[in-house]
Amino acid sequence: MKSMPPRLAIAFLRWFCKLDYLPDIEGDLFQLYTRRMEESGKKKADLLFCKDVLLLFRPGIIRSFVLLKTPNRMEIFKHNLLISFRNHLKNKSFFLINLLGLTSGLACVLFIYLWVNDEISIDQYHTNKDRLYQYMENVDQGNGMITRITSAGPTAKALEEEYPEVEKAVTTTWVTNYNLSWEDNNTKADGIYVSKNYFDLFSLDIIEGDKYKLLEDKNNIIISDELALRFFGDTQNITGKMIEVDRNTLFQVAGIFKKLPATSSVQYDFMLTFEHFWDNNEWVQNWYNTAPRTYLLMKEGADIDAFNKKIYDLVRDKTEGNAKHRSPFIAKFSDRYLNGKYENGKVAGGRIEYVKMFSTIALFILVIACINFMNLSTARASRRLKEVGVKKTIGVNKGILVFQYLVDSFMLVIIAMVMAYLLVWLILPSFNLIVDKNLSLNPDYQLITGTILIICITALLSGIYPAFYLSKFKPIQVLKGGNHKSTGESWARKGLVTFQFTLSVVLIASVIVVYEQISYTQTKNLGYNNDNVLIMNVEGALRDSSRFQTFLSELSTKPNLKNAAGSNHNMTGHNGGTYGIQWPGKDPNDRTEFENMQVTPNFIKTMDIEFKEGRNFMPDSQSESDKIIFNEAAIAFMGLENPLGKKVELWGNQVEIIGIVKDFHFDSFHEAVKPIFFILRNNHTRNIMVKLEAGKLQEGIQTISELHETFNPGVNLTYKFLDDEYQKMYEAENRVSILAGYFAAIAIIISCLGLFGLAAFTLERKGKEIGIRKIFGSSSMDLTVKLTNDLTKSVLISIIIGLPLSYFMLNNWLENFAYKIDMEWWFFFAAGFLTFLIAILTVGFQALKASLFDPILLLKDE
Amino acid sequence: MKYPKIGEFEEIVLLTVGILHGNAYGITIKDEIESRLERKVSVGALQTTLRRLEKKGLLTSHHGETEASRGGRPKLFFTITAYGRNTLADTKESREKLWSALPRIVLNLK
Repeated sequence: MKSMPPRLAIAFLRWFCKLDYLPDIEGDLFQLYTRRMEESGKKKADLLFCKDVLLLFRPGIIRSFVLLKTPNRMEIFKHNLLISFRNHLKNKSFFLINLLGLTSGLACVLFIYLWVNDEISIDQYHTNKDRLYQYMENVDQGNGMITRITSAGPTAKALEEEYPEVEKAVTTTWVTNYNLSWEDNNTKADGIYVSKNYFDLFSLDIIEGDKYKLLEDKNNIIISDELALRFFGDTQNITGKMIEVDRNTLFQVAGIFKKLPATSSVQYDFMLTFEHFWDNNEWVQNWYNTAPRTYLLMKEGADIDAFNKKIYDLVRDKTEGNAKHRSPFIAKFSDRYLNGKYENGKVAGGRIEYVKMFSTIALFILVIACINFMNLSTARASRRLKEVGVKKTIGVNKGILVFQYLVDSFMLVIIAMVMAYLLVWLILPSFNLIVDKNLSLNPDYQLITGTILIICITALLSGIYPAFYLSKFKPIQVLKGGNHKSTGESWARKGLVTFQFTLSVVLIASVIVVYEQISYTQTKNLGYNNDNVLIMNVEGALRDSSRFQTFLSELSTKPNLKNAAGSNHNMTGHNGGTYGIQWPGKDPNDRTEFENMQVTPNFIKTMDIEFKEGRNFMPDSQSESDKIIFNEAAIAFMGLENPLGKKVELWGNQVEIIGIVKDFHFDSFHEAVKPIFFILRNNHTRNIMVKLEAGKLQEGIQTISELHETFNPGVNLTYKFLDDEYQKMYEAENRVSILAGYFAAIAIIISCLGLFGLAAFTLERKGKEIGIRKIFGSSSMDLTVKLTNDLTKSVLISIIIGLPLSYFMLNNWLENFAYKIDMEWWFFFAAGFLTFLIAILTVGFQALKASLFDPILLLKDE
Repeated sequence: MKYPKIGEFEEIVLLTVGILHGNAYGITIKDEIESRLERKVSVGALQTTLRRLEKKGLLTSHHGETEASRGGRPKLFFTITAYGRNTLADTKESREKLWSALPRIVLNLK
């Protein structure tokens, strides 16, 4: 034909037209076209051709697009299943490798899914969560900004009355452990004081009592059903009973609420009214002291940014400009749990980083497992070439073949998923221990859709490439029996292996560095000794000053106990600070807080804190109340020369510096050592620290609790060990490092499984080559090197790519710590070497085995 | 014997296939209808009707020779089956019954 009608129209026709109608319809159209061209020119003919094609696009002509619209589609499906079953049976090792890899990969993904799902559901259950905000303050310290959730007592009332955007505002205290007693029963429980409209903001299930009246009476106490069961053994007929809190105030049980769900970031067993707290704590009634928390329910559609601008000067206005460093703002309560970290007044991540990190790890592992499947399926493709050829010759089209291979991968993924579920079900209890959560495999709507989604993604991700790869072979080529080889294919396989091992190297290097950093923080010299130090609360009758003093001195004399001292500070984290300290040359705008340690004279000795110069407080001396001890950081910060004997002003009183202690870490290693001062406290302190004799802990605890019983009858002794508490500051990192370790191990195992499979396959195909080479005198060693060459190269490349990558990532992570390890060269060497070693062993073992075969066996079989 | 009811265009196509007697394929049928009845026939409409008639058993088809002007595609020739012929006759008969029953006066009015 001299001239062709528009290609697009032909293509369209060929696409939609029934196949058996196509030849003669096309013929008719072409014939018409030729005639029209002669009659009225190409342009018109083209136009009419297109019109005809469009008019042909009608039900009688359009072919059916259902993939398997054949009467025996069930047969085809059965046939496919049978073929893939036989295939798996024939290549058991490949099947197992794929299954093992996918199962462990999917199990990891499931675990991470459960964990992430739990993390993101924290605090999301409140009905009003879209309008529920937390009041916060940015505090300018002169040399930086810190962000706090503490607020002044009158904040809620002021916000509610003066700002129309605020529907309701409530104040709560912090959660504290209290002693509860009823008749002769005693128990310990966590309590919180909340103000009147609390239930309008936070969603709680009230089992008994009218939620609008529960918080009316200042003497009411509302307890959880769990506490009721624990304490009264019943949840019926409890209202009206009188409970004594901390052995000094009686409250009447007014209602029962259902135990808070695990997805609540704040956990407590009972509530008292904030109005009661207000009446009994004068310090909370002004705008200067901050400790309570304030929450707001904003009106529908309130402009939060505008509101934040409006309240920016709230504290300054209320204190007539005195507290000028505090700038309030509000943040959505439901976002607080995941985005709790602030830097210079701006959100800087928080737990969301771990959520992201684990989601990435899950994806990595899944991808690694999918790559195994892709590699092994395409590598084995040569085994199925004949099958493809025969099928295509008898008229199976490409679509059906693609479908067949996808069914193949779907089947495998579904089996793997079932096994992964079994695995998760078995391991979940231990996993819960590691992450300290209560995750369960509840087959709810979300989990099921999630599972189906993961199955689809995995099956498609791993199946789509092999499916198209296998189905594209030309039947003639395949059946004639040429050696099918394409460079593109082997490059793809090498690339995928490299990618897999790059991920593994990054994971291994990360685990090494995270582990080193964690153990550094736990073994670094803290500057004091927290071994065998027990810390207990001072409560009940011990709050009496003289009783407290006697208790302390009794403790020090008992056997098995080395020393005892009181402190308001718990030595783990920031407890309380003040900027009410003046020294000559202080910048008037400086608001840096000094950590405030109010202690008994014995404290520094009990904690083994070393003196740099000067002396400790004199024991049993009232005359020491105008003396002060600083740490080195404080002296350096104030810039004092020859500080001993100099006077500074604390809260308006002159105090004399009598000693300087060496810096010690009371806060987490995320923080630099802050300035600290010690002053004596005459009254009782919040905590008592007791140093026990090493190796006699049980006896020591026994002695303490006996003594406690006589001094503080009816109150159960609660104690913790300081080093345990210290560990808790690194809980998040500890968990992350343990989990990351497991996941990295799984990632490398899966990668190696793939490598193992590939190596085994290569050797199988090269059986003849090995035989011939052996006959010509190659040694086993030569053969091993020769055979492993290719895969080894891929692994080496991935190490070269992976190490710098992990260096940058880890450097970033270490920036989070004020005290961090230096990146040692051996971290990366070890990661690289380990990866290489594992890979080499995997491949080399196979190669060696193959090269030791008797060449006759390899060659005679045809 | 019952014969299927066929539509107006189906009847025309069937008749035309008969007229062409042995030389009936897409283009000739189209040309024949267009020249005799002076109406436009689209390939799409014609093809669907032909296939439908074939499916009903009124037509059969066989492939003919290929031709360069057709881009090497074969012609598909259609012939009327006995069943088709009877159906046509049946249609004609039923029309005639009605015509004969039509009062003269009605025609004269026109």
